[in-house]
Amino acid sequence: METGLIAIGAALAVGLGALATGIAQSRIGPAGIGAIAEDEELTGKVILLVAIPETLVILGFAVAAMLIILLGD
Amino acid sequence: MARVRIVGHRRRLDATLATLYRLRCVQLVDIGRDSEIRLPPLSIDDARLSELEELKYLKARLNGLLRLIPDVGAAGGVEPATALDIAELTAVLDAAAPEVEALVGRLDELRLEQQTLPRHLDALRRLIPLLPDMAELESYEMSALLIDTRHGEVLGELNDRLTTVLGGNFEIISDRLDSQTIGAVLIYPRHAADRVQDQLGREQVSRVRLPERYESMPFRAALTAMEQRVADLDVEIDKAESAVEDCVRAHPDWPVAQRAVTARLDQLTAIRNLGATPHTFVLSGWMPADRVEELMVELEAAIGDEVVVGIVEGEAGEDAPVLLKNPRPAQPYESFVRLFEVPRYRTIDPSLLMLVFVPLFFGMMLGDVAYGAIIFGGALYLRNRFTAPGFLHDLMRLLVLSGAWSILWGFVYGEFFGDLGQRWFGMEPLWINREEAIVPLLVLSVIVGAAHITLGLVLGTVQAVREKSRTRLGEHAGLLIALVGLFVIVAIAADQVPGALTTPAVAAIVVGLVVLVVAGGPKSPLTGPLVFVGTIGNVLSYLRIGAIGLASVYLARVANELGAAAPLLLGILIAALFHALNLVLGVFSPTIQALRLHYVEFFGKFFEGGGQSFHPFGGDGDSVTDTSSTA
Repeated sequence: METGLIAIGAALAVGLGALATGIAQSRIGPAGIGAIAEDEELTGKVILLVAIPETLVILGFAVAAMLIILLGD
Repeated sequence: MARVRIVGHRRRLDATLATLYRLRCVQLVDIGRDSEIRLPPLSIDDARLSELEELKYLKARLNGLLRLIPDVGAAGGVEPATALDIAELTAVLDAAAPEVEALVGRLDELRLEQQTLPRHLDALRRLIPLLPDMAELESYEMSALLIDTRHGEVLGELNDRLTTVLGGNFEIISDRLDSQTIGAVLIYPRHAADRVQDQLGREQVSRVRLPERYESMPFRAALTAMEQRVADLDVEIDKAESAVEDCVRAHPDWPVAQRAVTARLDQLTAIRNLGATPHTFVLSGWMPADRVEELMVELEAAIGDEVVVGIVEGEAGEDAPVLLKNPRPAQPYESFVRLFEVPRYRTIDPSLLMLVFVPLFFGMMLGDVAYGAIIFGGALYLRNRFTAPGFLHDLMRLLVLSGAWSILWGFVYGEFFGDLGQRWFGMEPLWINREEAIVPLLVLSVIVGAAHITLGLVLGTVQAVREKSRTRLGEHAGLLIALVGLFVIVAIAADQVPGALTTPAVAAIVVGLVVLVVAGGPKSPLTGPLVFVGTIGNVLSYLRIGAIGLASVYLARVANELGAAAPLLLGILIAALFHALNLVLGVFSPTIQALRLHYVEFFGKFFEGGGQSFHPFGGDGDSVTDTSSTA
């Protein structure tokens, strides 16, 4: 039972982080493509802007890993 | 980068511009933007203006002609092999024009026919089943009609009108061809053709009109002839294309002339950037400092002492163009730096650092001997195949090195197509088994991140010292001190360093934060701690190295498990499909993530963008690269 709850908690940590990243990137991506279409030199900045929300899922992964490693034993 | 001014007698203007164009080492600066000298711009005289117009027309004609043959590119900044004689070139083009135009006209006609004939054929094929045999009678004529189903009542109205006009001596056969079209064939006496056409013009029907050469034929004969024609058209178009190509290729001097015209046009256009005195021209520009001597020697040899080159004393400012120059192995990474942003003049060029870290991170993420070998081999092949300088070639060079690192890390992790190496030939990891030792893998990722971010902060501090910027020095050094203190605390918690270091570590964090806050100005009491927390987030972001590696190794394991569970051949197929998918992900994901770690986490600590690439006068080539602007 407890193991199952830990697994659900870890899954929520990664899953919700991934969902949030996806939502953020789905807004930034089209705007970025529009900006690149106007000015190709903005490619680097757009990559940076699209990449920023990925931190959410990575932090979610860190939380999930900590849950499993610290509580899973 | 050196700021130069070239001054010469006006009669040497053309020769000077031609020499500069050939050497391709000076970026021209509009004399109006040179704040140190106030000169009126050099005006283009009538003769040159007329030449300019003629050259523009010639260039358009040559571009149009050379576009007809596929493998001749646009004119680049290459030195023309022959002297340009506008009158002669115009005469040659005028003489060749009628033949080329006739051939191109014929080719266009054939292509148009190839596009339109299938549409006629389609309509005819659908109408043919409606035709009775009697329709071929000599004294009768036929018209094929297409009617929109929404106006189906038109047929009844047409029938009524024709009954009035012809008294029933006609026939309409109709049927629904598809959901939107009704097809109809109208048969009527030949002598009544004019009256019938008159009636057809009044109704909302579209008459199927065949191309002129088939119009007089009976429909079935026209169908056969058109089908034959469609089959023949491909061959005719090929022949016509060959004829056009042969005609253009018969003039091998045209591409050379195109380059010469482009070169002269560029030189004439450049005149508006120059300044003028009553008898001289003055050219202002930037060039690599190590090529100034070469420029002086070349101008002396080509023109003599009527043109002089002067170097403007003083250090180049931020408006100087940036020329990246790195050792050959690091050159592909210049593309990835430029993709992000051109570094500001006299700041750090991270290409060399990317050479070290991007493939390393890629290898750490993929870490599989077999995948690495496939990527290494594939990228090596493609690199040798696409030898032309460009982004694709640079990407392949990056992947060759990344593949090699993946092989190395594959041995470290003991992976060959995931756990297949262990299953088949007992391959053991040299250090970390990623499937089991998740904690060491994640710790390794964070340690690598900490080292990378620390390096970034050290570079930022060095940059601040070089620029004598106290604010930035305080920000970078404060952050660095606080971060080192934090790392020591973490190391103490992990029993890796003695606990006696706790006090110095805490002191370092406090001192670092104070320096950060003091250096940052009035708003920094709020933003300083946020920057510190953000930097910790940056370090944690390197967890993706371990996370992506784990995803890769588990997908490989799934491939092997599924493959082992199925019958032999099916199992091989399933495993191959999954491994192929994993390999594709294994190329894209680590490349993007390794670049992201640089662009977002690493560059943020020291990189200063906003530089302008160096574009030398002399063609459309890519900006060249130079260390003069780098650390």
